[in-house]
Amino acid sequence: MIHQKNPITQSPNLSIKIGSLVLKNPVLLASGTCGYGTELDGLLDLDQLGGIIVKGISIKPSPGNPPPRLVETPCGLLNSIGLENVGIESFIGDKLPWLRNVKTSLIVNILGNSVEEYAEIAKKLDGAEGVKAIEVNISCPNVKAGGIAFGTDPEAAANVTRAVKKATDLPMIIKLTPNVTDITKVARKVASAGADAISLINTLLGMAIDIKSRRPALANVFGGLSGPAIKPIALRMVWQVVRAVDIPVIGVGGISSPDDALEFLMAGAKAVEIGTATLVRPGTAENVLAGIRDYMEANSIQNVDDLRLPE
Amino acid sequence: MPRFDIPARIIEQTQLAHGIFLLTVKAPAILDSANPGQFCMLEVKYNNSRDPLLRRPLSIYKTRANGHISFLYKEVGKGTRLLSKRRPGEIVRVLGPLGQGFRLIDDRPQCILVGGGLGIAPLLLLAERINQSGKLIILIGAGNASEIPTIEDFSGLTRYFHIVTEDGSLGQRGMVTDLLAQTLQEITGMAQIYTCGPWPMMKAVYYMARKKNIPCQVSMEAAMACGIGLCLGCAVPKSDSRGFLHVCKEGPVFDADQIHWEYTQ
Repeated sequence: MIHQKNPITQSPNLSIKIGSLVLKNPVLLASGTCGYGTELDGLLDLDQLGGIIVKGISIKPSPGNPPPRLVETPCGLLNSIGLENVGIESFIGDKLPWLRNVKTSLIVNILGNSVEEYAEIAKKLDGAEGVKAIEVNISCPNVKAGGIAFGTDPEAAANVTRAVKKATDLPMIIKLTPNVTDITKVARKVASAGADAISLINTLLGMAIDIKSRRPALANVFGGLSGPAIKPIALRMVWQVVRAVDIPVIGVGGISSPDDALEFLMAGAKAVEIGTATLVRPGTAENVLAGIRDYMEANSIQNVDDLRLPE
Repeated sequence: MPRFDIPARIIEQTQLAHGIFLLTVKAPAILDSANPGQFCMLEVKYNNSRDPLLRRPLSIYKTRANGHISFLYKEVGKGTRLLSKRRPGEIVRVLGPLGQGFRLIDDRPQCILVGGGLGIAPLLLLAERINQSGKLIILIGAGNASEIPTIEDFSGLTRYFHIVTEDGSLGQRGMVTDLLAQTLQEITGMAQIYTCGPWPMMKAVYYMARKKNIPCQVSMEAAMACGIGLCLGCAVPKSDSRGFLHVCKEGPVFDADQIHWEYTQ
């Protein structure tokens, strides 16, 4: 042995707890940007990550919105995918078996057009082997008849939370929409309705117009804005919600580097989700995780929770 | 199929005509598993810049045994403009090879390739592959000669090579569909059509093929964010249902009868 490790330096402890759910580290893949995991095979080592939150699942398969579904904006991406997904039966039958072999925590994002649908899908996942938690999308701005009503109405959001809670023993993360005047109102409501954790933010409602064709750039007219452009808004909202509720908060919105992730953890997020950045570079989450570890080592920070700024 | 996301060194960046470039990078790993019709996602931003955010999908145009892959592309916006400024020696990140390429059909000894403008880009590798086994007919059309500056890559491959331009600056004046109509009258026996170009052209080619009961494969284009089936952004409407196909995953090459050609936004 030429180099001897300084005996007082310990490698940092990256594991975190979200309710009863223990994650090996605070870096997760965000729903809607990591498919059902298998699409990333060979490009990202899922086993290294704290968790993967697979694409939002509805009761029935959904074809999604007509194209064009995407438009790039400065440092951002507008999408109106329309929650295209294979539906719960196909998810459990065709996607889950592959996901069970991945050594990371599998979290399933769920969608619904009614309180009953959310409850039904949660019930179906309750006994599904390999599923560690549920993330409830009450916020997607894309489907006209869908999620938007729940996420912007604190009472409706609480109703969904209660219904899902009743339907499953799995830890439940409620994912909030930023398209509200006061994010803390909805956060408090879902926390008191029994949410185990809150994740935020979902995409911001936006639009773009193609001045050549003189029509909206998205067939759906409106879409959800994601990417680095929304990070300051996400960070501000995470900061607010962390200080408004007692349950764990997961930060998401425009995180593409270790520095971005560290800002969210300093704001008080327990964990972070990597979204649009995975679309740009599939290996981003591994890079973010390595950067968090390096920062903690360099600054002798032992636990992820210790990154949070003092009040 | 293995895919790689690797930093690749730029070997060549040549402006061939106004707004049209040939970029060659060294990426042996990608080359080894690449098939005709597949594409790569190229990072166009510098270093850690976040604008433009997304990579750009480019068809693999040419490959050479020394690990060189070439992309033939047109400057259409900010991303491709930035890409065109990159110089030999610099590194560009390349993800690939991606998607489903052209399928070669064994019992179709005559292959008709129909390219429109820079739609010729995914057809060269295919033409080189077909040329080893069967009769290769190449039909190319463009607005004018400067839109297809690499035409000599094709013209030497087969004696059944025909070209038209809308302004008559190269070959006869006309549309590529005129060439196809003539070819379809002349040929006998089993044939297969492969096409890439603007939507209206491919639609016309498909309808002509269908009339003659000739199978047709099309290489599609769509706005794309990830290139690997994560975002589902690159949807094209399916012919047989309300659903969609994804250019990056089920494509970019489809059997033409899978697509709902009458779709308009």
